[in-house]
Amino acid sequence: MSPGPAAALLAAVAVTALLADRTASVAVLAIVLLGVCMRAPRGRRWPYIAGALSTALMVFLVSPLVQHLGTHIIWTGPDLPVFGQLDVTAEELEVALFQAVRLAAVALAFSAYALLLDHDRLIQAAGFARRSVLAVGLATRLVPTLERDVRGLVEALRGRGVEVRGLWSRARLLSPLVANSLERGLNLAEAMEARGYGRPGRTRTPRPPWTRVDHVALAFAPALVLIGALWL
Amino acid sequence: MALAQVRALSFTYPDGVEPALDAVSLELEPGDVVALLGPSGSGKSTLLRALSGLVPHFHGGRFVGQVEVACRDTRLERPAELAGTVATLFQDPEDQVVLDRVEHEVAFGLENLGTPPAEILPRAHKALAAVGAQHLASRRIETLSAGELQRVCLASAFALQPQLLLLDEPTSQLDPEGAEAILDLALESGAAVVISEQRPSLPLERCERVLFVEQGRLLLDSPKAEALEWLFEHRPAYLPRQPTEAGGDPVGGEHLCGVHDVSFTYGERPVLDGASLELRRGEIVALTGPNGIGKTTLAKLVAGLLEPGSGRVERLGRAAYLSQDPGRYLVRERADEEVALAVGGDLARARRSLATVDLAGLEHRHPRDLSSGERERLALAAVLVTDPDVLVLDEPTRGIDPVRKGELARLLRADSHRRATLVVTHDLVFAGDVADRIVPLEAREPALA
Repeated sequence: MSPGPAAALLAAVAVTALLADRTASVAVLAIVLLGVCMRAPRGRRWPYIAGALSTALMVFLVSPLVQHLGTHIIWTGPDLPVFGQLDVTAEELEVALFQAVRLAAVALAFSAYALLLDHDRLIQAAGFARRSVLAVGLATRLVPTLERDVRGLVEALRGRGVEVRGLWSRARLLSPLVANSLERGLNLAEAMEARGYGRPGRTRTPRPPWTRVDHVALAFAPALVLIGALWL
Repeated sequence: MALAQVRALSFTYPDGVEPALDAVSLELEPGDVVALLGPSGSGKSTLLRALSGLVPHFHGGRFVGQVEVACRDTRLERPAELAGTVATLFQDPEDQVVLDRVEHEVAFGLENLGTPPAEILPRAHKALAAVGAQHLASRRIETLSAGELQRVCLASAFALQPQLLLLDEPTSQLDPEGAEAILDLALESGAAVVISEQRPSLPLERCERVLFVEQGRLLLDSPKAEALEWLFEHRPAYLPRQPTEAGGDPVGGEHLCGVHDVSFTYGERPVLDGASLELRRGEIVALTGPNGIGKTTLAKLVAGLLEPGSGRVERLGRAAYLSQDPGRYLVRERADEEVALAVGGDLARARRSLATVDLAGLEHRHPRDLSSGERERLALAAVLVTDPDVLVLDEPTRGIDPVRKGELARLLRADSHRRATLVVTHDLVFAGDVADRIVPLEAREPALA
């Protein structure tokens, strides 16, 4: 499938997950998307999948504690300043599960986009929105780049006898990671300008013609959103 | 008619106090091949950026004088508009790659220049063929070796068919054969070529003319024969020379590290197969070999950062490892705190270590405010401060000028009795200067040393 229709289809699945109001429907979408993501090479897919699922799990665990919903109390905890009485109700768990599955579906749709689409062809296919698509493409590459940077920083620290253990140690790497990304972004911007980026009169590499599958995918995308809004 | 003219150019970066370029004037003719030499931070990269229009447009700053390329004033035309005329190959290829696949990457510049669509891919493939990389056309960028990636970047520059090709230390990550191949290919383009390099023998063997920049001033602009005489008299460290011979047998005392018949695989890609190495206290061993052969992997095994797939590694005492990338030693907010990180925050010890690498007085500076050469030395201080028994340095001369390389060799030699030192390097002259023993790592052959 060409990357344009594939991106439209993934966007439609994400929107459907946001519009649907049944947990089971959204869970099916999330499972399908997980299966799609598993087609990516093992080394590349794990940060995306782990990130998507762990964030969803966090939402499931934390949101019942900060919500005040329902009457069927399952667990009563301590009375904390600011938060008040901590308790978990069956209704809160139900809502937390729905929100977590919904977040997982949207995050997995993005993961499938990042892992499986040919971003070069997507950028080449973009007409008036090429700058935006290029910016999104470069931002998408940030995830594996950051992962490589983290490994490099941790390795350099270990190389001087400093072990990085625990959340606080890892959190302290955030600042250098962001600074490295900014430096790299500046270097890339300089190299792009030196190669004529931003000059008027740009042309495009001819793209392969769309197949029947591409047309079907493009037609199915809005239909899926409609189905999600009305029946799922 | 000159291709490029620089007239009384002075330039100061927005946050700079001293000018990066000071009253520089020169002319470049079509087809010129020019070596641009000088210490780290002397203004070489700034001069190349002025010729491409990136200075002042991209960087800002105070610009006095005039630069014309192909009769176009760089103050009036943006770098993007000069792109078909001038092409630049930067030091770090990873920082100049925009797209994911090789042929798309090469086509990127052609699209920007408005090349007719039907010509884009044929020209991209022709440029790849010119650098011997046509077989890489459909590969993903992330799967390329450093040498392959730099070839792709050169093809991206070739595809634009520039009249002026600017090479800003493009071979610093490449082995000698790879570096020579890149420079030879660049010269075959037919464009005027300006080569900035920290291994001076590479451009000096190929150029017709030499520029020498120091503290922003152009000290020398002469044909090669005269330039060699000037260098001999004033800057002998920049003269090309053959590597000195180092021995092949272990020297020194106590046995500190033994690598026995180790193999290592990244995923499904085997990197080392049956490699062995021995390090003794008091000796410096240089590990050389082509890109991708497994030198860094072996160095990390020695330092204990990797565990072998098979075979064994024995180590006595503490090991420390200096990464190729000095950007990995920019974790803290001050230079002395960065160095003290490895010694439990002992700032006094950190400052002594900074002084040994000639960074005294910069203790309070933010590491990111240091120049690239200073960052390299900060990284070295951050490792030396641990006073390791086994010291592993991975490409410690990358981006360092010949004078600093000499100082580094003397520093390592002065302290060599305290430890075993393993230096991974492509710089055979430096290897000859610093090492007691040179171990060439060759393609998957057992029993190295």
